[in-house]
Amino acid sequence: MSSFYSQHHDFIYKDISLSGGTSVTISDGTINLAELSKFLSGKLDDANIRGVSDLATQKQIAVIVETRSDKETTQKVLEEYLKYPLNDKNSSFEFTGSSLGDSFYNQLLIAMVAAFVLMAIVIFVQFKTFVPSLAVILSAFADIFMTVVAINLMGMRISSAGIVALLMLIGYSVDTDILLTNKVLRREGKTLNRKIIESFKTGITMTLIAIASTAVCLIIAGPYSQVLYQIFFIMLFGLMFDIMNTWLTNVSIIKWYAIHLQKKKNEN
Amino acid sequence: MKTKLTWKIWLWLIVLALSLVSIFITPNFLQKGVLITNVEQNSSAFEQGLRAGQVITAVDGKPVTSVEEFSKIINSKFPSLEKIKTTFTAKDAEYVTYSNTSSGIIVSKLPLTNLKLGLDLAGGSKALVKASNHTLTASEAADLVSIMSNRFNVYGLSDMKISTVRDLSGNNFISVEIAGATQKEVQDLISQQGKFEAKIGNETVFRGEKKDITNVARGGQEAGVYDCQQTASDYRCQFRFTIYLSQEAAERQAAITNTLDVNSTASGDELSKTLDLFVDNKLMDSLQISASLKGRAETVIQISGTGVGPTQNDAITAAQDNMKNLQTILITGSLPFELEIVKLDTISPTLGNDFLKYILLASLISMIIVAIITFIRYRVKAALAPLAVCISEIIITLGIAALINWNLDLPSIAGILAAIGTGIDDQIVILDESRHKEESLNIKQRIKRAFAIILGAYFTVVASLIPLFWAGAGLLTGFALTTIIGISIGVFITRPAFADMIKLLDKENAS
Repeated sequence: MSSFYSQHHDFIYKDISLSGGTSVTISDGTINLAELSKFLSGKLDDANIRGVSDLATQKQIAVIVETRSDKETTQKVLEEYLKYPLNDKNSSFEFTGSSLGDSFYNQLLIAMVAAFVLMAIVIFVQFKTFVPSLAVILSAFADIFMTVVAINLMGMRISSAGIVALLMLIGYSVDTDILLTNKVLRREGKTLNRKIIESFKTGITMTLIAIASTAVCLIIAGPYSQVLYQIFFIMLFGLMFDIMNTWLTNVSIIKWYAIHLQKKKNEN
Repeated sequence: MKTKLTWKIWLWLIVLALSLVSIFITPNFLQKGVLITNVEQNSSAFEQGLRAGQVITAVDGKPVTSVEEFSKIINSKFPSLEKIKTTFTAKDAEYVTYSNTSSGIIVSKLPLTNLKLGLDLAGGSKALVKASNHTLTASEAADLVSIMSNRFNVYGLSDMKISTVRDLSGNNFISVEIAGATQKEVQDLISQQGKFEAKIGNETVFRGEKKDITNVARGGQEAGVYDCQQTASDYRCQFRFTIYLSQEAAERQAAITNTLDVNSTASGDELSKTLDLFVDNKLMDSLQISASLKGRAETVIQISGTGVGPTQNDAITAAQDNMKNLQTILITGSLPFELEIVKLDTISPTLGNDFLKYILLASLISMIIVAIITFIRYRVKAALAPLAVCISEIIITLGIAALINWNLDLPSIAGILAAIGTGIDDQIVILDESRHKEESLNIKQRIKRAFAIILGAYFTVVASLIPLFWAGAGLLTGFALTTIIGISIGVFITRPAFADMIKLLDKENAS
């Protein structure tokens, strides 16, 4: 991560909704992606092309072009290639100015930090003990951090929706952690391992269900919208990392803490 | 065996029923026709009393049940160079219009539900505007909103939302949302400062201000599209309309024209310099000045310009649009700041429709998967209850969205999905807790323990969503709002009902 930051002076690859630029969706199944890509190189700044196919027939139904160029330039260049005018019937345009993209990004980072602080306060108020609270917060942080690293390694560009998805991860991450902490530390009777196994059974069902439904949504609705594609993709990765962070790292901390408490009790 | 429902289950069922009413009972329940979403001011239809919100059932006696049927009839009549009669039949009355410039009416399908889809799903334009080289204060932004609303009204668009937005770092933006299909001119209306100047040589004769221009003709004999010519590549049509100058401006013009020479041309005697019309410092048209105007304080002036298009009809429409745009600027005056569009999304309605289908399909399949996994894991009838609870949660969230007139955009839908996800998690916690029978606790205590976990997670998620209300100029508010509504309904209405259902089932099993 730190090497990524020193290379790019940022935490993520930003897409046009955060860096500024234009995204065009053209409803035309006859466009040849390779040809269009060749035509656009040099004419549009940093152009990125993707086809959208119908789920049932696998036939291409639309093309999405993303570029750092502004709306007018993009439209002109595309019309030059297509030889017909783009209007609100055959295309969708999304343009974000670079100044807005920047402030948007900064604000989402602030929102993220604020969300974390607020979340941490609620957790501390709930558990009133330092170590378990820290474990929950660390696990949420690790989920987000690992997801971001994984996405960077894949070279995926994150949009504002992607950052929202990272925020959503906080919610799913704390669910299982709160379950674990509650069951292990707050309940009398039963052995420690028994309690952990029980919460693991519940927690893993929760996460697996979430993974399964996220995967379905990613496959079905993802291709049609950049926004949902990012959200589901990032959630899917985050949830997988959550299994690891909750049931390996977090569990060890809680277990250690529970044994530590037990010892203290015995000493008294 | 008789099972008595608890008040929590009753509450759930009542809220569910009310939500269904809120979603499906529309003002035009079980009616046929098309809904008017916009009527251009100054159009014949507007003068006859047709307004947005009315339902048209027939045009020229032919029944209309879809937008396609409506457009087919209208497009076969307009644009036309002559004024023609059109009869619109609405619920309560008939309206007869005479017009040559299309109907001035924009219609949409009669909505089956009270749900409003955001522009990213229904199609339309959405713009965020800020002043370039100037930081808008809240009151300046509010002033701009009122001038721009006035512009849209004068232009004839009423189906739009315009408001100020403030982001986390205190920047003020103006947000403009226009539903349905939109013309390119809308973009101009949003960002154009609209500084109008008429010059002869380097001297300004009059500006687009109340002080100089007292009246702008908008219809009848004094405004319209006249000559259309075919050129090598396209068609060009000319528009003309009359404006009335103040005495002061007219005298300024007289003083300037007095200094000019008279040239004799084939088309008559003309002054040596032209009257040049500039909009935002760009030359729009140059008008020859007839020699008879030399030194005369004439208050009635003809303004003209052109529209270009690949066919004659396109050129007529373009000329009409350009004329309307210019008239709007002259009537409403220029904006106090130069504006810059920082975000502009124009979404085609066709894509949105497909997309909604796939979202529904995706949710359905994921719910089936959820049901299968819970059934495999718990092997009890109760495992199927989460499915019912999930669907009811979606319905109630949508019911509230319909009630508060919330526009369901993509982030909102993502929020609903997120809420369902947490909802399922919570139900699994309840199911799980209720099954630990070996413990000495009774079902009531076990469910109470489940709620300790659920409430803990609930408050944590709400806390983490709150900052999103302010970040990003309101673009993500929908996500935060629907998620919070969704999980609140879950925690306070559906989950307690679900827990009671589990208790009932437990009793049944026990007896």
